[in-house]
Amino acid sequence: MLSRTAEGLFWMSRYIERMSNIARLLDAGRRMDALPQEPDARSTEWASILISAGCRDSYPSDLDDANQANALAHLVWDEDNPSSIYACAKAARSNARAVRVALTSEVWDVINQTYLELRDVYRLRPISRDLVGFLDWVKERAALMRGMIASTMLRDDGYAFIEMGKWIERADATARLLDVKYHVLLPSAGNVGGGVDTLQWMNVLRATNSARAYRHVYRRTVEPRGVVDLLVLNRISPRSLITCITQCLLSLHEVAGFEGAQSDLVNRLQALQERLSTTNLDAIFTYGLHEWLTDFIIEVNNLAVAIGDAFSFHPPAPATLQPQPQ
Amino acid sequence: MYNEMYRDEALRREYREIAEWIAQQGTDTLLTRQAEADELFRRIGITFAVYGEGGDPDRLIPFDMVPRVFNAREWTKVDSGSIQRANALNAFIKDAYGAREIFRAGLIPESMITGNDAYLEIMEGYTPPLGIYSHIVGVDLVRVAEDEFYVLEDNCRTPSGVSYVLQNREVMSRMFPDLFVEGHIRPVDGYGDMLAEAMQAVAPPMCDGEPTLAILTPGQFNSAYYEHFYLADLMGVDLVEGPDLFVEDNRLYMRTTRGPERIDVLYRRIDDDFIDPSVFNPDSVLGVPGIIGAMKAGGLTLVNAPGAGIVDDKAMYTYVPDMIRFYLGEEPILPNVPTWRCSEKDDLGHVLDNISELVVKEVHGSGGYGMLIGPTSTKAEIAEFSQKLKDNPGNYIAQPTLSLSTSPVLTEAGLAPRHVDLRPFVISGKTTRMIPSGLTRVALREGSLVVNSSQGGGVKDTWVLTDGGDV
Repeated sequence: MLSRTAEGLFWMSRYIERMSNIARLLDAGRRMDALPQEPDARSTEWASILISAGCRDSYPSDLDDANQANALAHLVWDEDNPSSIYACAKAARSNARAVRVALTSEVWDVINQTYLELRDVYRLRPISRDLVGFLDWVKERAALMRGMIASTMLRDDGYAFIEMGKWIERADATARLLDVKYHVLLPSAGNVGGGVDTLQWMNVLRATNSARAYRHVYRRTVEPRGVVDLLVLNRISPRSLITCITQCLLSLHEVAGFEGAQSDLVNRLQALQERLSTTNLDAIFTYGLHEWLTDFIIEVNNLAVAIGDAFSFHPPAPATLQPQPQ
Repeated sequence: MYNEMYRDEALRREYREIAEWIAQQGTDTLLTRQAEADELFRRIGITFAVYGEGGDPDRLIPFDMVPRVFNAREWTKVDSGSIQRANALNAFIKDAYGAREIFRAGLIPESMITGNDAYLEIMEGYTPPLGIYSHIVGVDLVRVAEDEFYVLEDNCRTPSGVSYVLQNREVMSRMFPDLFVEGHIRPVDGYGDMLAEAMQAVAPPMCDGEPTLAILTPGQFNSAYYEHFYLADLMGVDLVEGPDLFVEDNRLYMRTTRGPERIDVLYRRIDDDFIDPSVFNPDSVLGVPGIIGAMKAGGLTLVNAPGAGIVDDKAMYTYVPDMIRFYLGEEPILPNVPTWRCSEKDDLGHVLDNISELVVKEVHGSGGYGMLIGPTSTKAEIAEFSQKLKDNPGNYIAQPTLSLSTSPVLTEAGLAPRHVDLRPFVISGKTTRMIPSGLTRVALREGSLVVNSSQGGGVKDTWVLTDGGDV
């Protein structure tokens, strides 16, 4: 398949995933906002949501003053923020449009309709009046896109690149979410191990659609080790890091050749998968959850770059621009 | 003024079914369905961008639901006349870049091509496979009476619009399946196969085995991107962009996830100027360096070949009947509109004397821009244009104001006649042929003669009935 088409599908898929992840994060933020707080406690929920969305740098003002209104402005509508829901829907559609030959009309239709409805309907009214309804709509549309992809597309190379985009984006999002919970919320809440802490871990689960799953799997009260186990090491979670990496590897196998950069990429992803398979909670907490997650996030981003290189997402510079050997 | 729905005062048989259908549905229902059709177009993503006008980048071309109908006899004329014209045009382009016999015969002044911006010296001596330069020719036709058609212009570069022909039919048959039950309407499904077969037939000399086809687009921000996608999808070939491609040893390759893959026949939907930065516009990022060299070496066929645009201008147009006689030994089946060449002194005098009754067009103009329609212009506009004419007469031609035929369109007040034209698409490969339909463009403003989509024109489904289908 054309490298540009593979790249378009990969990014289309990442933006679809990001769109629903942001919607879930905002839902978590909304719930945290509603938690009871000590009168003089500084509210950091929205700052943590923004950081978890990867928007520490793109956020235009002081993170400490973030509230629901300006978080929504940045994470839902800000066109300059590549992670805003609007920008994601637009970018997913733009990528889809550029690779339409590789999509079924059903997939194109739902992606196109989502963007148009966002642009022509939702953008014209204050969504804060029915934030829950809006976020549900976004999650449903993303699910509809996934469903259309799963039920109508050929299982060819293009499908593999869509899958890889989804799993890479999801791995990144899950890791960031866990990292933010551990480092931003705890100190400022000043209430480690207390009731608020539990509620906040609960919201991490909600932001990953895993609150019920936690009960089903662990049958006990929410506590940090359980949450980290579920979202990092548990193979039956659809959002855990090990699931993301294992699935990404499976799709990579479908398209990668047996030599050169593609083979190196397989080995590298395989190595990460093995590290995840052989580690355990004690090792992670001993190393430091934040440090461990930071390493992971960096490696996932390097892998995304390596995927682009191995499949020539970016055409090489014209020969005349390259330095000539003497 | 000729209204295609009627013969003398009576409803034509060809339109009887449609008239009954409209009466049954009622205007209100149809207007509602019209809105649904628009929604369908938007969802499918059939949109059209007008350069430099701002506004919605995803504008819809207005679609009118009342089909335009040709009976079998009428179509035979359109079909054979368009095919004849495409054959003569291709013979001429090959001759112009080759032996130049028609100039030596004294039928056309050689200055017509040497002074032509679309003429490409680099193509001299290149004979494409099967001698075809323009594999897809769009012939713009108008009608002024039941049996009177004129050719308005020829489009040998990269004529667009065929996707609307096919999608208009798709939308009509989806929304009104009952209309198609009788089976009198000839289908248009063959276009993709026809185009693919023609492209395969012109595989370059270096290609052994099944040729690989692809379509080259400037990208998704081009106004015709939908069509590029649509045709690639229809033929099941890759839709490539300049940066996807490179030339090595006179063969063209696309970068794929499994390494380079060769392309043998490329239907390029970018202009000549941009196709090869090493030969033409050096700033072009849309094209591919070396692609012209590959073509000339026989490693690649470009569809349509560069330089085919020499016959598209309105001065060259006046010679097409001569080309038909010279190359084919036939009389033109579809006549030209009588045209005055302002480059010639007598003609210029006539044009200036009668300008208020004429249509004056720039030789290289297109899209309905840069023209004067005498009868609907003010004195000041006419004076201004006359001056332009005197300053640069070779830049203009003039034609009588034709009384373009009308076809009924759906309006709030029911059916109303609006002016239409027709662009059939002729495909040349092993044979020259076309699908039984064409792009009907309609001037949606009452009385307007300008059908261009860039100036508010719309489109209609165009039906050709089977022999006896109008009975």
